[in-house]
Amino acid sequence: MSLYRWGGFSNTKEFVGFDNFITLWNDVDFIQSFQNSILLIVVVAIFTLLIAVFFAAVLTKETIPGGNFFRVIFYVPNILSIVVIAGVFSAIYDPSSGLLNSIFGTLSLENFQQMWLGDQDIIIYSVAGALVWQAIGYYMVMYMSSMASIPPSFYEAASLEGASKWKQFTNITLPLIWNTIRTTLTFYIISTINLSFLLVKAMTGGGPDGSTEVFLSYMYDQAYGNSTYGYGMAIGVVVFIFSFALAAIVNHITKRDVLEY
Amino acid sequence: MNVKKLLFALSVLFLTIGLVACSDSKSSEGKETNEETNEETNEETNEETNEEGNEEEGTTLHVAALESAYGADMWEKIADSYETTNENVKIELTIKKNLEEVIRPNMQAGEYPDVVLLATGRPEALTETLMKENGLENITDIFDQKVSGEDSTVNEKILDGFTDTLATNPYADGETYLAPMFYSPTGLFYNAGLFEEKGWDVPKTWDEMWELGDKASEEGIALFTYPTTGYFDTFIGSMLYALGGPDFFNSAMTYEDGIWESDKSTEVFETIEKLASYTEKNTVANANPNDFTKNQQLVLDNKALFMPNGNWVVDEMKEAPRADNFEWGMTSIPAFEDGGDRYAFTFFEQIWVPSAAENKVDAKDFITYMYSDEASSIFLEAGAVQPIEGITDQLDGQKQIFYGIYDDEDVLPAMGTFASTEPVAGVNMGDTLYGTIGSVISGKITIEEWRASVEEASDKLREAMN
Repeated sequence: MSLYRWGGFSNTKEFVGFDNFITLWNDVDFIQSFQNSILLIVVVAIFTLLIAVFFAAVLTKETIPGGNFFRVIFYVPNILSIVVIAGVFSAIYDPSSGLLNSIFGTLSLENFQQMWLGDQDIIIYSVAGALVWQAIGYYMVMYMSSMASIPPSFYEAASLEGASKWKQFTNITLPLIWNTIRTTLTFYIISTINLSFLLVKAMTGGGPDGSTEVFLSYMYDQAYGNSTYGYGMAIGVVVFIFSFALAAIVNHITKRDVLEY
Repeated sequence: MNVKKLLFALSVLFLTIGLVACSDSKSSEGKETNEETNEETNEETNEETNEEGNEEEGTTLHVAALESAYGADMWEKIADSYETTNENVKIELTIKKNLEEVIRPNMQAGEYPDVVLLATGRPEALTETLMKENGLENITDIFDQKVSGEDSTVNEKILDGFTDTLATNPYADGETYLAPMFYSPTGLFYNAGLFEEKGWDVPKTWDEMWELGDKASEEGIALFTYPTTGYFDTFIGSMLYALGGPDFFNSAMTYEDGIWESDKSTEVFETIEKLASYTEKNTVANANPNDFTKNQQLVLDNKALFMPNGNWVVDEMKEAPRADNFEWGMTSIPAFEDGGDRYAFTFFEQIWVPSAAENKVDAKDFITYMYSDEASSIFLEAGAVQPIEGITDQLDGQKQIFYGIYDDEDVLPAMGTFASTEPVAGVNMGDTLYGTIGSVISGKITIEEWRASVEEASDKLREAMN
């Protein structure tokens, strides 16, 4: 279908070869949406990974009061519908009565007050913030389960040898959960591509002026809103190849010898 | 080994049972539905024969309409009353809020409705897609036909000007493909109570507008806000009309070369640039599908004076809290010079027949029925106003203020939209002309860049005109 000029209804299909892909190559709006998507994937993956691993390590290794309560709290965002998340975050980011600006206001940090959803330089990070918030719980549970299966004797031996908590983490925990992390990296790519579309549709509508358009929302706009179904399908092909290739690359460069215990 | 074999055999057994069960239930379901439909049709035919004796078997007319603020009930009533006058026609209604999602798959499978009420300018752009693919039936002839069940022709009943716009004649060739249905005037909405309290006059020119803006900002009120940039379609349209009348507007809508670089268009861009400095500061942050009501709330709270909108906003904000002396007011887009023409854009929904429809003759007759006294009073009861002669006299209260906007001597109606072209990949005039305003207001790009990109999009679309 990506090789046709087609509006979506079968009677007027015209074969145009690779024209759609050539147009795509020169389409500034597509390039912008592509950049936004890559930025989101990178930012969301890095931040979710760091935060989720940190909390997973704290919750499995340390006994803190109310540990189970925190597990629930962290997991709750994950069961919320993305539209609810959009509602919650547009309340948080509200310029005049929003949580974020109010907190900065009470702390007399007026310089930090921003138009979180109005400033085109910031808004993509606001979207990333919402995505990270909803993703942490899910990945945290994954990391926790793989950390829980590490035999405690390793840590006992390490602490007898005088290894610090940080040393234990980098030399025991991290290598032993490496395989789980690798798997989740692929999940980050897939889920960010999907969820960013839903969130952008519900929260910002791709605006202001396309500054939060991601490639799936751009594909949707072109396939339906602009009646260029074939062109939308061409975008779909590019997105598929891109996510497939990215996942393969990430998988390849994170390859290590699997440690057994 | 034995256990493994047993397990294997068991799993195969379960799988088979599962498959059989599934297929079985499906076919029996299918049978049931068949039976049901048979029963239904039998009943219907029985009823019909009972009522009319030896009437030949009637046609079924599939009518699909968007369920908007007016509700679905009025369509049921319309179907009933049409069926009573045309006894051999059975109406099957599809009234949905997400009409596109319901009828698109059917249409792709070749099952087209006979009559569709769905306006242009919707995010899914189904109507535009059919326009661009030449999938609409030419209905120019119905306007000379008699209204179903009445003696006058459709043309005699429809208000002047509604059937010679680009919104009804998308290819700009004088042929009509879409009939105008419910209309609503759009313009700048404001709090009439506040203007009375402060003793301000509603500005008639842009100069008066800026003066008022300065006065208001001393009191901490912003001059302008907008729900989302999409609302600029009627705003810019009215400005184009005010600058050069219908001719200028139409040449812009048919992508005439250099039109956006002309001096007149430059005034549009410059006015919006100036308006940017008078725009409420949170507007851009809230101009998205989730928060646009916050921008509309600004007017209710006396934090902003004007917003471009349509009269549906009254219902949309019905439950919202508001300032004490709040009262909706509506005015046209200001003129560019003293005593110049002012325009208020009229937005209307369209009804059309897909060219792949089965019962085109009946479909066209059904459309003429839409303009009958009987139908229009049913619609009016639900709050939907059609462009029919004398209808404004039947309105009451607030509605009359909005629909009576053209009674003001120098306010003229403006109508139309961009001419339909073949689909052009990656070029969307709406996004380029209106969407970019977000960036203009936040100062991200200059109006020169904006103008250049609009002209570029216009150039590309001109080549694709049908």
